[in-house]
Amino acid sequence: MSSLRRYLVTVLIALFTLISFLAALQSYRQSASRAEALFDQDLQVLASSLAQQYQAGSQQELGLALQVWQNNQLVYRSPLAPETPMSETAGFSEHNFAGKRWRVFHQTPTALLTVIVAQPLQQRQQLADEVITASIYPVVLSLPLQALLIWLVVSKALSPIKRFSAQLASKKANDLTPVELEQVPAELDQMLKTTNLLFTRLAEAFEREKRFASDVAHELRTPLSVLQVNLHNASQQWQQSGIADPQGSMLALRAGVERMSALIEQIMLLNRTNPEHFQARTEQLDLAGLCRQVVADWYPQIEKKQQQIELIGLEHLSLKGDAFALRLLVSNLVGNASKYTQAGGAIQLELTTHAEKAVLTVQDNGPGIAPEEYSRVFDRFYRVGGDRHQSGTLGSGLGLAIVRDIVNLHQGQVRLGASDSLSGLKVTVELPL
Amino acid sequence: MLINTVLMFLRELLPLFLLLATLLVWHRSRWQRFILLFSFPAVLMLALFSSNMLWISEQLDGFGLELLYSLLYTGCFVLLCMATAKRAVAMQLSAFACACLLSINGSNLLLYIWLPTQGNTDPSALLLGMALGVGIGSSIAVLWYYLLTELQQWRMLSYRLLLSLLGVRQLMMASALLIQSDWLPAGPQLWQTGQWLPEQSELGFFLQALMGYEATPVLSQGLAYTAGLGLLLWCSRNLQNNIRSAQ
Repeated sequence: MSSLRRYLVTVLIALFTLISFLAALQSYRQSASRAEALFDQDLQVLASSLAQQYQAGSQQELGLALQVWQNNQLVYRSPLAPETPMSETAGFSEHNFAGKRWRVFHQTPTALLTVIVAQPLQQRQQLADEVITASIYPVVLSLPLQALLIWLVVSKALSPIKRFSAQLASKKANDLTPVELEQVPAELDQMLKTTNLLFTRLAEAFEREKRFASDVAHELRTPLSVLQVNLHNASQQWQQSGIADPQGSMLALRAGVERMSALIEQIMLLNRTNPEHFQARTEQLDLAGLCRQVVADWYPQIEKKQQQIELIGLEHLSLKGDAFALRLLVSNLVGNASKYTQAGGAIQLELTTHAEKAVLTVQDNGPGIAPEEYSRVFDRFYRVGGDRHQSGTLGSGLGLAIVRDIVNLHQGQVRLGASDSLSGLKVTVELPL
Repeated sequence: MLINTVLMFLRELLPLFLLLATLLVWHRSRWQRFILLFSFPAVLMLALFSSNMLWISEQLDGFGLELLYSLLYTGCFVLLCMATAKRAVAMQLSAFACACLLSINGSNLLLYIWLPTQGNTDPSALLLGMALGVGIGSSIAVLWYYLLTELQQWRMLSYRLLLSLLGVRQLMMASALLIQSDWLPAGPQLWQTGQWLPEQSELGFFLQALMGYEATPVLSQGLAYTAGLGLLLWCSRNLQNNIRSAQ
């Protein structure tokens, strides 16, 4: 259909006209047929009443009452007629006799002759009802058919809108491709064009944002690496030359550069794991083995801080997920636990399953996080206590944001709480098996 | 009078409206041109035939009108065959086929309207009957148009078959008129379906307008029908491409 309005108007008018006219035609036919039957019945009554006149002693019920008066003498009466005149006045009137209400017609063709005919009112009403019912019946019967057809036509007319909304509803968060419909009606055309234009602009904006963050991070990484090398060299030359650094400027500079490097790495990882951009390559993997690898990776730093780490629970836990993303998730959690737990502290990883879900719990005996901060620590660049954490540890504020993105990618859940056994923070990650 | 007028209008208008709606689906991208191409010859032929109807009916031993009508019906069928086969002039041929049909049905209607108004017939019954007949016929045509639009979109074969049935219906009418005027031998009766589906019933009317339904067809009609349907289906074998190129 090229236009919803034209389709609805023409089809509904056609339907109404067709059904109404057919119903009217049917009413006409049925009424005419009923009326014809009544006229035939009248002819029969007339013939019978005339025949009775010539059949002495006949008591056949006619449904009509008939009297013939001549010189004020009753010369003939039908079985239902009384012996007194049924009506004294000429023309039509209504009277009661023989236990019924009658419609009476009184005629005096000559001065000496009077004919009075009467018909029960109930019978007349019954006959009239029959004719009227016959004419109304098709009209009433056509109403459900009209309702059904209107429903079908309106459903058909609105189907392009339904398809349009279904396509919009089925779109994934990262699907910004234009919506395509076959045979777009005029009324929907502009809406479709505007929506598709919006999608195109949004896709371009996302692409620009993605490229910008990625490009900036990438461009900054190389000069920062050079800066780190030069700083290392300069620091060694200072030491060899015996240059004193009482203010600790060199150390602060190195810490700043390291933080910036870490920040850029995290920005690149965040960009990579963002659900709007990331295309997960799911595979069957062993989460327990992955946790062991991450612990091994972090072990030098943990040992340096003289911390204790243990991995308890299941020795093998198979689930479907993206190996790179899940490794980054566990790494961020273990890294955070190590960073924010004091030297000599304890870290515990536990793997269990619960209700068709893999549950990874990372606990420590560090300072923990106040419950009112739980919801905010997943925001990008948010750090508890501001830019510099009270632990004095440098961070980017992106670690938990990346964890949340990865958990969302796997349709899982992450929540924070206080550790029961170690008195620090407990991070619980649930991933579908 | 009322019911006769309704039936008369339905009998004459329904085949024309169905053919017009069917061909409009085909030529809907240039429907204004189609209507123009159809209107001019239709009005011209209608004026010519209706003004000379008495003279025409007296020709050829009183069978002039029947033979002219059968010629027009056959012309309509042939034009439809050519239209489905010749892509370049499909619209012109289709429009002329409709004009042929209109000249027959229009002449009959004009005659029907003209004769009662000369007598003592109640004009209100005639007008009401006309309104009912035109209303029912045009409503069916509108619904038929949208139904065919859907069919054409999803099942091209159904559209082709329905167009072929409409075309061969004209051949069926021509053969009936030729048999009536003894120009075509009737042959034995093929079957009798009047008790299940009377020609005067609503469905009988519709099928008669759509595919030339006859309750008691004879052998020559059956042969004409089969051959005509086969020919039209063969001619319209490339109809799908023709319609796509037209749209």
